[in-house]
Amino acid sequence: MAKFMFVVPPFFGHISPTLSVGGSLLAKGHEVIWVGIQELSASHIPAGGKFIVPHEQLAPYQEAIQQILKMQDDGPKLSGVETLKLALEGTYIPFCRFMVPGVSHVADKFQPDVIVSDCITFAGAITAYLKDIPCVTTTPVPPDVTGDAMQAPKIFEWQQQLIRNLQHEFGIYTDEYVIHSREMNIVFTSREFAGSTDPLPHMRFVGPVKGRPNDTPFDWERLSKVTSPKVFVSLGTLLVDIRKEFFAKLVEAFADEPVTIVAATDPAIFPQWPDNFIVQGFVPQSALMPQMDAVICHGGFNTVNDAFMNGLPMLITPIAYDHFHTASLIENAGCGIKLRYKRLRVPDLKAAMREVLENPAYRQAAQRVRDTFISAGGNDKAVELLETFAQRATNIISIQQ
Amino acid sequence: MDAITTQKKLNSEEIFAILKGFITEVIGEEFVEDMDISRESSFTRDLEMDSIEIVSFSEKVKAHFGEHIDFTGWLSGMDLDQLINLTLDHIIKYIESCQSSK
Repeated sequence: MAKFMFVVPPFFGHISPTLSVGGSLLAKGHEVIWVGIQELSASHIPAGGKFIVPHEQLAPYQEAIQQILKMQDDGPKLSGVETLKLALEGTYIPFCRFMVPGVSHVADKFQPDVIVSDCITFAGAITAYLKDIPCVTTTPVPPDVTGDAMQAPKIFEWQQQLIRNLQHEFGIYTDEYVIHSREMNIVFTSREFAGSTDPLPHMRFVGPVKGRPNDTPFDWERLSKVTSPKVFVSLGTLLVDIRKEFFAKLVEAFADEPVTIVAATDPAIFPQWPDNFIVQGFVPQSALMPQMDAVICHGGFNTVNDAFMNGLPMLITPIAYDHFHTASLIENAGCGIKLRYKRLRVPDLKAAMREVLENPAYRQAAQRVRDTFISAGGNDKAVELLETFAQRATNIISIQQ
Repeated sequence: MDAITTQKKLNSEEIFAILKGFITEVIGEEFVEDMDISRESSFTRDLEMDSIEIVSFSEKVKAHFGEHIDFTGWLSGMDLDQLINLTLDHIIKYIESCQSSK
């Protein structure tokens, strides 16, 4: 049996797949811990696992951490280049600085066989490099392999320089970038969907992993009486500020239209909803999806993956961060229509909805993506990869000793 | 769209008016109404152009002012802060400089 130490950021979209894979590893008898920068509700942590926040080592940075977390709310207001700056220079790199002492401390006590470091949480990979511990990277979002028109040599150089400087701070003077594993990078989507035609051999696409069990109550009886096409709408867990504006547009577009909107949002944002809107703050999303005909979302990965696993066409309204990239992938794969949130017109919304519901090509394309997700292997494949990696790592160490 | 290469050298007010027309075409009249576009408007932040819109804007600039105006090439030579702080005024000056170097 092996010891796995996951190192995660304070963003649930990145933590979630590691909880799922960690749960599967625990079920097979391995030891698993998580190290994070912020406490996670105990209800999320798989039985037998432990989520550690090294408070003592993080204490000097508490104020800065809170400030950075607060800045993330600005995402929807920022332009693409500003987001890039906020992400790398304003978030990932300082978080790495703050986390390395604590991650290092926990690693000394736990003595992991493998550190599994999230792709934006460089502290895991840096610690692994410094302590010569085998390291795997996890990537929840399809990597941006194409880039866009804003990518420029000076911006690329800026990224490289920031990473080199960060490595220098920890006394790492190699020309290689050690913030990501060169041995194995587990990506939670399929190679086909990521549009990665010729991936490096250490990139391992396992598809989405299982969601958390969710037995939230729901008015299933009301849903069962619905006869019009059912459309699930979710903006994920972030982006609280723009909910009201977003749903106001949906109400304007779909009130009393021949569709039923099932929306995951706090009903209290409006005093009243149209009769064809079923609204609930938290919903049993995975159980609801098989009953739906289409999905409207912003491109957050949790909802996108659930939609694909049910072969549902999507209408995506990217708002910030990596949503634009994901939305383009969905559109390029023919599984949906992208409508930019900032330029959202109600007539376009209605026309796009009609198109994804009535033109079977979108559903068929989504079903093809589902097939690639399923054959990518999910939890079983991720566990197999990690077990083999740990086995190989232990063998190498025992040969050296 | 016809490629009308303007022979006459335009002053900055005229260039601004043309660019404003292009922006309206690219992002849509109803969104431009609330924007209050000025020469100080930031390209990425106030106008919130995404990459597809920038490419379309760039094509209009080329078609109007001449093929030698490589707007996207000019942008791609910028560093992050230059892009963040890019205003319409910078673009006007760039077009003026291309006209005078012709």
